[in-house]
Amino acid sequence: MKVNLHPKESLLFNAFQLIFIIHSVQVGVGVVGLPKIVFLETKHDAWIVVFFAGVLTSVILWFMIVMLRQYDSADFYGIHVDVFGKWLGNFLSFGYIIYLIACFFVIFMNYTEIVQVWIFPKLPTWQLAFILILLAVYAVHGGIRVIVGVSFLSVIGTLWIILVLFVPLRYADFTHIYPIMNVDIKHMLKGIQRTSLSIMGFELIMFVYPFVKEKHRALLYVQIGNLFTTFTYTLVTFISIVFFAEDGLSKVIWPVISMLKIVRLPNLERFEFIAVSFWMLVILPNLCLYLWASSKGFSRIIKRTQKMGIWIIAIVAFGASFFVKARYQMNMVTDLVAKAGFYAAFCYPVVLSIIVYLKKWLARRKKSHVKSA
Amino acid sequence: MLNRLKWIMLAAFFSCVMLISGCAEKKQLEKLGLSTAVGYDLEKENHIRGTVVIHKFDPLAKNLTEIITVEANTSKTLRQKQNLETDQKLVSGQLRCVIYSKELAKKGIVQLVDALNRDPTIGNTVYLTVTDGKASTIMNMDKENQKIDLGTYLYNLIKQNVESEQLLLPTLFEFNHRYNDHGKDPVLPILRIKNGNVILSGVALFQDDRTVAELKGDNIFYLKILSDKFKSGTHEMGFDRSRFKKLIMNQEGNAFRTVYKKLFLNIDNIRSNTKIKLVDKKNLRFKVAIKLQSRLLEATEPLDLANPANIEYIEKVVGKEMEKEIKKLLIFFQKNKVDPIGIGNEYIAHNRGKMLTKKEWRDKYKDVKFDVHVQNTIVKTGVID
Repeated sequence: MKVNLHPKESLLFNAFQLIFIIHSVQVGVGVVGLPKIVFLETKHDAWIVVFFAGVLTSVILWFMIVMLRQYDSADFYGIHVDVFGKWLGNFLSFGYIIYLIACFFVIFMNYTEIVQVWIFPKLPTWQLAFILILLAVYAVHGGIRVIVGVSFLSVIGTLWIILVLFVPLRYADFTHIYPIMNVDIKHMLKGIQRTSLSIMGFELIMFVYPFVKEKHRALLYVQIGNLFTTFTYTLVTFISIVFFAEDGLSKVIWPVISMLKIVRLPNLERFEFIAVSFWMLVILPNLCLYLWASSKGFSRIIKRTQKMGIWIIAIVAFGASFFVKARYQMNMVTDLVAKAGFYAAFCYPVVLSIIVYLKKWLARRKKSHVKSA
Repeated sequence: MLNRLKWIMLAAFFSCVMLISGCAEKKQLEKLGLSTAVGYDLEKENHIRGTVVIHKFDPLAKNLTEIITVEANTSKTLRQKQNLETDQKLVSGQLRCVIYSKELAKKGIVQLVDALNRDPTIGNTVYLTVTDGKASTIMNMDKENQKIDLGTYLYNLIKQNVESEQLLLPTLFEFNHRYNDHGKDPVLPILRIKNGNVILSGVALFQDDRTVAELKGDNIFYLKILSDKFKSGTHEMGFDRSRFKKLIMNQEGNAFRTVYKKLFLNIDNIRSNTKIKLVDKKNLRFKVAIKLQSRLLEATEPLDLANPANIEYIEKVVGKEMEKEIKKLLIFFQKNKVDPIGIGNEYIAHNRGKMLTKKEWRDKYKDVKFDVHVQNTIVKTGVID
C-alpha cells in the first residue's frame, strides 16, 4: 500500500469546507444526551467541563495536523503502514475500522431509539435503520465531494435549532450554576472523558486530509469548526443546567429534546417532533463520513473497490441491528463505543503523532549525519 | 453502468420511503377521543378513581364532550379501562389540565406525575391543579350547559390568571422543576365549585409531593412577589383610620359618610424586584429585599395626595405593613416546612463542597431567620390627585 494518497484534482475540496465537516461530524446523536451524562459526573459545573473538553479537542486537532504535515498527502492508513510496517500497521488499521463501523452503528441505532421513544413507539428498529443505512450508502456512493455537500447542508439547515434553545431560558433558574467551579479535578477529568461520545468525530480529519486542496490552511479551518462545536455544546449544557432541577436533569435520558418540549408555537403544539425529525439531517453527515472512512480503509487494506466495502459494512451494520433489543443493551453498546472513542479519538492520535514526529526527527538526523560524514 | 445503479438505488429508496411510511400507526382525527382533562381521586387504599373529559370531533354527536369514570391502581390502567367505555381511541396529546383531589394530594402525587413525565405524548405545559372536594364532582358538573369542554375551560381559567399575574405558573414542567430542586417546593392552584362554576380559590403548598398547607387571598400576592419578578397585581390593605388622620381631606359640603370602620387602600403593583440574599451563612440569616413600584388605585376615603410628604407617608406605612405580612408568611412557610420561594436554592448556591440533600435542607430550614425590607414607591396615583 502506498503511504501517500494522491487523489485526482476533481476529487479535492476546499479547505474552508473542513469547518462544516468537523462541526457536522462532531454534532450528532451524542449531544442530545450530553448535558445529562456530564452532569452525572460533575454536577452543575458540567458546562465548564464541556468547554474544557472542547479546548482539549482543539489541542488534539493540532497534534493530528502536525502529524499529517509530516507527510506529503497521507491518510491514517498510510501513516500506520509507514510507521508500523505492513503487518502491524494494517492490523491496527483494521482495529480502527472496527471502531469506525461501531460508531456508524451506534449513531443510527441511537437515532432510531429516539424516534421510537418520541414519535413512533411501534416502529420496528430495522425499518428506520434500513432507510438510514440506504441513505448513507447512497451518499457515500457519490464520493467525498457529495459527503462534503451533505455536511454543508446539514450545518446550514439545522443552525436555527440553536436559536430555539433560547426559549427554555425564559424558565431558567440561574441559582443552579452557583457555586461555580465546585468540582474537583478527579470528577472533572471523568466528566471530560464522558463528553467523548459527543465530541468525537474530529478524528476523521486524519482520513479526509488527502482530499483537502489547500493543505496548509487545514489547521485554521479545523480549529474554527471545533470552536463552533465547543461553543454550541457549552451553550446547550449551560441551558440544560439552568432549565432542569438537580434531580430532574439526572433523570431524563435526552435532556435536549425534553427541553424543547417547552417550546410551543401557536399552530404547533409539540415542537420536539420537528426537532427529532430534523435531527436526521444532523446525523446524516456523521453516518456518511464514518461509512466513507471505514470503507476507504477497506479498499486501502484489502485492495478491493471502495464500493464493495460500503456494501459489506452496510450489511454488517444492518445485521447487527437485530441483536440489540432493549434500552439497557443499547446503553451498554453506546457506553462501550464512547469509551473506545475516548481512547481512539483522544488518546491514540496523540501517541501516534508523537511516534511519527520522533521517527521523522530520527530520519532527518540520520540523513544529516550521513551528509556530514 | 454507474448511472443505472444510481437510478436503481433512487427507485429503491423512494419505494422504501413510500412503503414504510404506511407502517406507522395511523391516527385519524374522527376516530380519536382527545382527552382534555383528567381527574384523579383516592377511592380507597391502593385504588384511584380516574375521570376523563373527552373532546370529540364527530360532527353528528350532540355532546362534544364525554366523561368517563373508572377505577384502577395506575393511571395507565385507568386509560385502558376508559378506552373500553368509548367508541373512540383515547389519546392524551391534547391534555390540558390534570386535577388531583386534595385527599390524594395529601398522600402524595408523584407517582401520577411520573406517569405524565414518562409519556412522550404529553406536553410539558399541562396544568396541574388540586381540588378541594373530589375531582369527579368538578368534571361531572353541569354537562349540558357547557359550551366548551372542561379541559379548555380550565386551561383558559388558569392561563388568564397566570397572565394577569395572580397565580404562579402551575405547569407540569414547573412542578417537576420545583419537586426536583433540592431547595424549592411545588405550588399548585386549588379549584373549587362556586355557583355551578369552577373557580380558583387558593394555592396549595407542597412538601415534596404532598400538600401540607394552603394559601388564600392576600398571601398569594405576597407569595407571587417573593417568588418571581412580577408586573401587575392588585392588593388591598386595611388600616386604622387614626393613622391617616392628617391625610384625610376635609371636604366641605360633602357629607362625610363612613361606610367602613377602617380605611382601605388598594395598591396596584407595577413592578417588583425581590432579592433574597444569604447574609450570614453560619446563623442562616437571609435578607429579603423587595423593591416595589406601585400605583394607588383606590382609597375608601378622600386623601390629600397633592402633598409629596403625604405620599411618602403612605409609602412608608404601606411598606411597613407589607414587611409585617411578608414576615408572617415566611414564618408560616417555615412552620409548615415548605419552601415555595426557593430559599434553599439560594443557600445551596452559596455553599461549596458537597451538595445538600432535600432532607438536610429541611432540617436547616427550621432555623432560618429573615430580615425583610420592603421599599415601596408610589409612582402614580391615577388620573386624579
